[in-house]
Amino acid sequence: MPANPTLLEARATRALEAIGETTPDELVALIERSGLRGRGGAGHPLAHKLAAARAAAATSGASPLVVANAYDADPASPLSRTLITRGAAAIVDGVAIAARIVASSEAIVYLHPDAKSERAAMERAIAERRPRLGGLDVTTALGPGGFMGGEESALMNVLESRRAMARQRPPYPAQQGVAMRPTLIGCAETLAWLPLIVDGGAAPLTKLVSVTGAVRAPGVYEVALGTTLGAILEKAGGADGALKGIHVGGPTSGILAASRADVRFDFEDLAAAGVHMGSAQVRAVPATACIVAEAARLWSYLERENCGICVPCRVGTARVTGILEGVQSQLGRESDLAWLGELGDHMAAFSLCGFGLTAPSILRTTMREFAADYRAHIDERRCPTGTCAVVRSRRYETMAQP
Amino acid sequence: MSLLERYVQPTESQMPTVSHQGAIPAGQPTCTIWIDGHEVTAVVGEAILRAAQRAGFDIPTLCDDEKLAPAAACRMCLVNVEGFDRPMPSCHLAVEPGMKVTAVSDELFKLRRQNLEYILSDHNAYCMPPCQIGCPTHIDIPGFLELMAKGQHVEAGRLLKETLPFPYALGLVCPAPCQEVCRRGLVEEEIAIRQCHGYFGEVYLEMDEAPTPFPQRTATGKRVAVVGAGPAGMTCAYYTALNGHAVTVFDQMPKQGGMLRYGIPEYRLPKVKLDKELNSVWQLRDTEFRGGMALGRDFTIDDLLAQGYDAVFLGIGAWRSNELRIPGEDLPGVIEAISYLNQNARGDPVPVGKRSKVVVIGGGFTTFDCARTSRRLGADVTVVYRRSRKEMGAHYSEVDDAEHEGIRLEFFAAPVRIVEKNGRVGGVEFQRMALGEPDASGRRRPVPIEGSEFVIECDTVIPAIGQVPNLDWYDRSPGLRKSRRETIVTNGALMTDRPGVFAGGDVQMGAVTVIQSVAQGKLAAKAIDRYLAGDDMAAVAEEIDEEEKVPELIDIVPYKPVEPQVRMPFLPFEQRVRSFDLIESGYDKAAAEKEAARCLQCVCPDVGRCHLQRLSLEHGLTDNRFHRAEPVDYHDYEYDFSHDFILRDLNKCINCTQCVRICRDVIGANCYGLMGAGYDSIVTTPWNVSLQYTDCVSCGACAETCPTGALMMRERDLRTYELDVVRCIYCGDCVEVCPHGALGETPNFELASYRRFGTTVLAKEELAVARTWKPSEHIPANGDGKAAVRPPEVRPPAPPRWGA
Repeated sequence: MPANPTLLEARATRALEAIGETTPDELVALIERSGLRGRGGAGHPLAHKLAAARAAAATSGASPLVVANAYDADPASPLSRTLITRGAAAIVDGVAIAARIVASSEAIVYLHPDAKSERAAMERAIAERRPRLGGLDVTTALGPGGFMGGEESALMNVLESRRAMARQRPPYPAQQGVAMRPTLIGCAETLAWLPLIVDGGAAPLTKLVSVTGAVRAPGVYEVALGTTLGAILEKAGGADGALKGIHVGGPTSGILAASRADVRFDFEDLAAAGVHMGSAQVRAVPATACIVAEAARLWSYLERENCGICVPCRVGTARVTGILEGVQSQLGRESDLAWLGELGDHMAAFSLCGFGLTAPSILRTTMREFAADYRAHIDERRCPTGTCAVVRSRRYETMAQP
Repeated sequence: MSLLERYVQPTESQMPTVSHQGAIPAGQPTCTIWIDGHEVTAVVGEAILRAAQRAGFDIPTLCDDEKLAPAAACRMCLVNVEGFDRPMPSCHLAVEPGMKVTAVSDELFKLRRQNLEYILSDHNAYCMPPCQIGCPTHIDIPGFLELMAKGQHVEAGRLLKETLPFPYALGLVCPAPCQEVCRRGLVEEEIAIRQCHGYFGEVYLEMDEAPTPFPQRTATGKRVAVVGAGPAGMTCAYYTALNGHAVTVFDQMPKQGGMLRYGIPEYRLPKVKLDKELNSVWQLRDTEFRGGMALGRDFTIDDLLAQGYDAVFLGIGAWRSNELRIPGEDLPGVIEAISYLNQNARGDPVPVGKRSKVVVIGGGFTTFDCARTSRRLGADVTVVYRRSRKEMGAHYSEVDDAEHEGIRLEFFAAPVRIVEKNGRVGGVEFQRMALGEPDASGRRRPVPIEGSEFVIECDTVIPAIGQVPNLDWYDRSPGLRKSRRETIVTNGALMTDRPGVFAGGDVQMGAVTVIQSVAQGKLAAKAIDRYLAGDDMAAVAEEIDEEEKVPELIDIVPYKPVEPQVRMPFLPFEQRVRSFDLIESGYDKAAAEKEAARCLQCVCPDVGRCHLQRLSLEHGLTDNRFHRAEPVDYHDYEYDFSHDFILRDLNKCINCTQCVRICRDVIGANCYGLMGAGYDSIVTTPWNVSLQYTDCVSCGACAETCPTGALMMRERDLRTYELDVVRCIYCGDCVEVCPHGALGETPNFELASYRRFGTTVLAKEELAVARTWKPSEHIPANGDGKAAVRPPEVRPPAPPRWGA
């Protein structure tokens, strides 16, 4: 085996033939040894999910289901679409291996409604590889659009023809998923690693990232886990002008100062820095951007995109947006920062799904790393970059009621 | 998969339904869990919340119904469970043997409180009206304003007079604690409640007989003596007389009114109209006024009881001014505030004139009555107060008015001595004060600044630093007890230690506002009525205490478009010098109705049943930090009151989705769902149509399960139905199914509708016309200007009378 393969370079494997008589338990052990972690952002070991779904199917007797999540919730991070365009066959093979492990006869590739050509490519790949799937029925399904459509539990609701709303876990999808069936939901990118691991024992050491913002060559790149953020930006042609920060992980994740380009792009290191892998978007924030406005913009996106079921997310995102816009419009007060911290802590403790649990990362990182931007707005009533427009004329007040 | 296909919710199959009350049915597999350190037996697989509820733990929740699959939407029932790194919803998490749950902790309390603050910040509705709670006599303010806005003046008067017999007088002199707390103030300006009931009072003055809250009860044969014809005494007399007892009112002054007449100057309250209003008491049967009779001088309490009065009410007020207790207080030129106002009110000569230089010391209502009276007599007036404007006892409008009328205000100065000049007052020496720590009254205690003495020259000093009751008669009244503040001590039912003797108003509380005295008069009348009926007075006292307890208010964030207060016309400042003309000229009908219509009607019919209210009170939600931002930060939905049985007010919806689940999973009609995205998500009907266009079966399950007032049952309000006259074949099916029995068949198999005064046989035409003749429809006028009863083209032939 030469160099360890990468997803984007990998040729079609003969994994399905290579499995042969290997038992599902051996496959799970193999995947566990490879250390494959979910590429959807949370980094949960895939082997655990496979084992849980398999066990649940065995005990409940319900027929399990495999779902490849190729939804790409973050519109600026089209990783699954890129993967489908480059090699949809790997995803089909991965789905087939997972289905074999959990003993499923049905699998769904879940796509964004805008991904029309990708859906066609996916269906071509499925048709092409059907003879090798051994009776596994793989279909495609379209989500509703919007950010929440990609959330794992909302995805289950969508597949049940319901509104894309999060469900409380546990029980996890692997135990009780779509229509009460044990459901293995894996990111398309994660599942695409399975044929490489099974056929040739590749180590899943790379991750697709979408580099956006103030870089010379934005796009989807594949980088080794552990590459520094600076190196990732370099890979995309380097920063286009001076940078203020690096926004890692998409809309629910925080912004790190540009000086922290040495942070390694890895599940643990990102978490230690206060952000998370999320949609694996790495956005270069230019020096001309005001971080308060950036944060307000992100929260206003979350205010529109949350599913509306739980209070901390539905109301909390709106209130945090309001406070941030107040600060941005030079109506901020000294107490606002502590208040934002308090609301962030509440959201991180009381939200229903990952959306609200992770979103406070934006507040925590920006208030820590760009305290000067907030201070200038609050103390000096000016935007440090001179770019903030007044977006509201009234701020939240405490009115004394009897 | 079809849209209507329904799946079992994940945890639905897993969770056995065991009632949250009572015992676990035999045969259920159980396990043991620990909640807050207590061992709890739970059915294997049920939710923690269910086990906790059965064991008597009160975990807050707003979206849980044991009939329904859990939604974990409200996030109120979150508990800490060992092994989970963040709080988990107890309504959703299944118990596992040995599970350790923390349901109560300071941290969880704070997080739940924050959650409630969020909910209330987008709960565009109201709870209890703060005005009614703030008013000492608890006038049903939203109620009378609503009637007023509809133009139903007599009904409004009845409602008003249930708690306030003298709306005109109070309309002019009340400090209006109701207005200070009015929720309309959160939108832009409070409602002018005082002026509104003042307008009413004025309307009733013009009526031959003022409306009463209820017809006077039949005579009981009991006699009550009321001592003091002031606000407390007259109120007590009014309600006692209404209760059917004979009332005699004694007063030391020749005329009725007490401090209203002899204390409050003419420019604030014209005495002619006051008399007219107080006369409403004498319009009642068995009422009598005996002026010029002073307690202690002309009679004693024993005398009254000996004369056969069954109960005595003491409402003699507080007529003795506090002394300054500084050197020079006995010099000529130092006037007692109360007797000064008294003399002026009676038209007697007063020692203040055109060239007087007057210093009034104090900051209360009496202070400003003295100051503004002196100003009107042409004097040069300075008011000196030892604290700041904010701490003044007088209403801020009075302080502002005084200043505009040319009265000088001097703050942070306390008198040290009165300076003598030619044997009489020549000035007052003051010392500057600074504010120190708050005292028992909550106001900051003034602390003298050494060496800051200064003198204000004057020839007249009026100390107006509060009054106490004059208890000269006390020694000859056995069985009564007085406090250190020279007031009469009573129990919660306003009865003194001597059975049958009641006391209220200033004599019981010390000098207070008119409305507080009215409130006590009202309570005393109630207590006297109960006493005369022979009830246990300790129980009555307890009952009154319970009724008077001020409920806590929760802070919700209403949103309404801005509409400023209707301004009361005032006498211009320049015309007030040397004139005792009434300052407030009052609302006219249009202004009063317009102002009344501004009332937010911030009462929710769900108060008392609302779970959001209960939890908010339990979590001490007395402030909310999310008021007053942009309109986009709040939702202002339209009501859906078009359904015949269910009222929907989306503004009160908290997206708990209980109605969604109960309608879908239990009833099967599936009328509700979430609409909109993100912050704008709201539970409503498909395409947000009126509920009556859905598959609603009017079962009311949604209204029953709704934790707030978003869905409520409507009072039955049956309207006429449409009838297609061409297609009706008199089959009588409608008779069969009519749930109200409003339709029937006559022996000749004709349709009949049952009316209040008998049966009417309906011809087809009649049935058809029934729908075209809605009471709300406009009926065009005939050519001669008279309103037609019905449009002639749809007038049916006279219906044949059954049995005629």
